[in-house]
Amino acid sequence: MKVFMSGNEAIARGAYECGVTFASGYPGTPSTEVIEEFSKYDGVYAEWSPNEKVAMEVGIGAALAGARALVVMKHVGVNVAADPLFTVSYTGTNGGLVIMTADDPSMHSSQNEQDNRNYARFAKIPMLEPSDSQEAKDYIGLAFDISEAFDTPVFLRTTTRVSHSKSIVKLGEPAPREDRTEIRYNPDKYVMVPAKARARRVEVEKRMIRLKEYAETFSENRIEMNDPDTGIITAGMTYNYAKDIYPDYSYLKLGMVYPLPAELIKEFASKVKKLFVIEELDPFLEEQIRSLGIEVTGKIIFPYTNEFDPGIIEAAMAGSSSESRQFSLPPIPARPPNLCPGCPHRGLFYVLGKFDCFVTGDIGCYTLSFMKPLEGLDSCVCMGASIGMAHGMSKALKEKGKGRVVAVIGDSTFIHSGITSLLNLAYNKSHAVVIICDNRTTAMTGMQEHPATGYTLQGDIAAQLDLVELGKTLGIRNVHVVDPFDMKTTRKIIKEELSTEGPSLIISQGPCVLLKKERKRKKKPLMIDTEKCTGCKLCLGLGCPPIAWKRFEDMKDITIPKKRKNQEGIAVIDTALCNGCNLCLQLCKAGAIMEVSGNE
Amino acid sequence: MSDKRLPHDPYNVIITGVGGQGNVLASRVLGSMLVDKGFFVTIGETFGPSQRGGSVMSHLRISKTSVWSPQIPGFRAHIIASLEPIEAIRVLALYGNPEATILCNTRPIYPVPVIRGEEEYPSMETIRKELRSLVPDTLFIDATEEAQKLGSPILANIIMLGAVCGTGVFPVDRHDFRHTISERVKKDQVDINVSAFDIGTGLVPA
Repeated sequence: MKVFMSGNEAIARGAYECGVTFASGYPGTPSTEVIEEFSKYDGVYAEWSPNEKVAMEVGIGAALAGARALVVMKHVGVNVAADPLFTVSYTGTNGGLVIMTADDPSMHSSQNEQDNRNYARFAKIPMLEPSDSQEAKDYIGLAFDISEAFDTPVFLRTTTRVSHSKSIVKLGEPAPREDRTEIRYNPDKYVMVPAKARARRVEVEKRMIRLKEYAETFSENRIEMNDPDTGIITAGMTYNYAKDIYPDYSYLKLGMVYPLPAELIKEFASKVKKLFVIEELDPFLEEQIRSLGIEVTGKIIFPYTNEFDPGIIEAAMAGSSSESRQFSLPPIPARPPNLCPGCPHRGLFYVLGKFDCFVTGDIGCYTLSFMKPLEGLDSCVCMGASIGMAHGMSKALKEKGKGRVVAVIGDSTFIHSGITSLLNLAYNKSHAVVIICDNRTTAMTGMQEHPATGYTLQGDIAAQLDLVELGKTLGIRNVHVVDPFDMKTTRKIIKEELSTEGPSLIISQGPCVLLKKERKRKKKPLMIDTEKCTGCKLCLGLGCPPIAWKRFEDMKDITIPKKRKNQEGIAVIDTALCNGCNLCLQLCKAGAIMEVSGNE
Repeated sequence: MSDKRLPHDPYNVIITGVGGQGNVLASRVLGSMLVDKGFFVTIGETFGPSQRGGSVMSHLRISKTSVWSPQIPGFRAHIIASLEPIEAIRVLALYGNPEATILCNTRPIYPVPVIRGEEEYPSMETIRKELRSLVPDTLFIDATEEAQKLGSPILANIIMLGAVCGTGVFPVDRHDFRHTISERVKKDQVDINVSAFDIGTGLVPA
C-alpha cells in the first residue's frame, strides 16, 4: 500500500515495521512527530523523557536489555545527550540502538545550525542519511540491522526538509516481534572504568575498520552513471535538489555519510571528468574526499550557511551570484511570529519589559517576547541557560546587579535543564529572581506532556511534579505563584522579590491558549468604544494580534470625536481574533475597552 | 491513474498565508487527493515559530511520472494560492513569474509592525494593481468573508483550496474532497467543509 507521509511519520512507521518496541525522546523541531507517531502503534513503548540525556540513557538501558531502541532528538539535543553518547560507542549496544538527530539548516526553529554529521566522526558512530520519506522508512530498518551486526549505536540524520516534507511511501508488513530481552551481565563491556574502557577503545577502532569495509558494499551507497563529464557526490535532501536541476549528470549518492566508502569514491572519481560535492553546512564529505587525494569542487562555490534549494545549486554551478529575474514589487511589512491572542506570556512580559532589569531568557514561545513592543527578554542561548546565566550575572555584577537580574524559563524547559541550576542559585546564595512561565505544556513544539502536566505521552495520569514544593525543597525560601493575566499583582510581586535578599522563585501560572481544554472555554471578546478611545496607544504596547491602530486620515467616516488635541487615530479590536484575556482592558485609562455585548 | 495531462510536469503549487490560517491542512488535503489519483506528490512545509502568526508557505510538486524535491526552484511556481494579500507579494518576489496564476484572499491580517503603526500595510487597491500588472492571471477571492457567511472564518483555507481545484488543472472534484476531508475532520464538520470547497470552486470562472 502506498501512502503519503512526512519523513518523521515514515521513520516512526519504519521503526514499527522493523520490530522497534522502545522509543524515547524530548520534543524539538524538526524531530517531534517521530515519537508522537510511533507511540500510536500497537505493542510499543514510547516516552517523553525530561531531556535528551535522559532519553539517551533510557535508550541505552533498553538496548542493553536486548530491545530495539530508538532515541529521537533535534540536533542541539545531541549536545545535551553527548555524555552518554560518547561512551555507549565504547560499550556497544547488545540490542539495536539508533539515535535520530534532526538537523535544522537555515535554523527554521533553532538557535544554531550545527552539522551533526560531525558527531558521527567525533563519537565513532556510523551515520545514515535518507533523502526522502521512503528512504527515511527504509533506512531506519537498515540502521538497526547495522547496529546489531556491529554492536554499535547508529545515527540516523535528517534535516528539516527530510523530516517535514511529505512524499509517497510504500508500506510494508511489520516484522514478527519476538521478545529478546533478558538481564545480561558483562562487566568487561558495560562497566567503563579506565581499565575496561581502554580495552573497549581498541574494539571501537576495530569496529570502524569493519564499518569502512561494509560501507563499500552498502546498498544505499550507489553510483548512477549518466553523463561522464560531470559527477556529483551528495547525500540526503541535496540529492533531490541536484537531480531536479541536473537529471543527466552522474551521481554517487551516499546513504551512509560516515564512515565513507573510500574505494567506491575513488571508482566514481575515476569515471567522471569533473567532480562536485554538494552538501549543506560543513564540508564534511568534501574534506574526507580530499584527504583521499581526490580533487573536488565543493565549498568554493556552494554556501556554508543555510539550507539549499534547487535554485541555489543551479546558481552555484552556473557561477552566477544571484538570480537576475527580479520583480519590482511594492514594499511590504515584515511578518515576524507573535504570541497568540490570549497567550499567558503576554501579560508577564509586558510587566517585565517595564522593569529596569536584564532578563535572561530561555527557549520556548516566550522567547518571541524579545521583540517589539514587549521587549521583555534580553538573552537566549540554549535550553536551561536562563537560570545559570542570571546567577552568573548577578554574582559578577555584585551590588550593581542587585534587584536587576531576572531569569525566565518555561515549565518544560525548566524540567529539561533548569532544576540543577535553580539548586545552584540556592546553594551559592544568588540574588537573582527566577520566573517559571508555567503554561502547563510544551507549547512551541505543539503541546507535549511533561512531568509537571501530570500526564504521560499517551495521556495517562502520572505523578505530577509540584513546582512550588520543588523550589522550596531545593532551598529557595521565597516562592510565589502569580496569575499573569493580573498584571497589577504580577508587577507587585516581581517588584517585591527584586528588592528582597536571596534568590526568589515566581511561578507565573496561566495555561496555553492552544491547549484543548482552553480552546473549549468560551471567553467573551472585547471591543473598543470609539467614542471613548483617546488614541493613547497604551493597548498597542501589548503587541496583541487583534488590536490595530487606525489613523483618522485613513478613515472615510470621521464622525469619531477627538478627545485630545493632537490625537491622530484610535485603536480597534478585531473581535473575531480576540480571546477576551482582558489585558488591554487593564491598561486602558479611558475606560474605552469593554466586553462585546449580546449576540454580536 | 487519471489520463489528464498536467499543463507542466512537475506542476508547482504554493499555498501561503499566516501561521494559524490552516495552510498546512489545505496543502495536505490537496496532496492527498492527488496521491489518491495516482500522481507523485511532494510537499515542503514551514514549521516552527512561524506557525505562531508568522509567514508560512507550503510547496507542492505534482507529477505524473516521478518524485520531485520539496522545494520549488526560484520563479517557477505555476499556481500561488495566498490566504492573505501581502503574503502573495512576498511569495511572488521569490517564486513568481508572469505566466503563473495567483489566487488571493482579500482579507488582510496585519503584522505587528503595522498594528503598532510603525509600518504601512499597502492598500488593497495597490495590491490589486501591482499583482495584476505582474501576473495578469490574478484572481481576488473574498474567502474570509465567504467563510464568515458559513459561520466560521477559519474555513477560508478550504474555500481557497476549492478555488485551486476550480482552476481545472487537476482531475479532482468535490467527491474526492469529501473523501479526503472525511479522514481529517470530525463527522459533523464534513458537510460544511464541502460547502466551503464548493464556494471556492464556484468563485473561479470556468
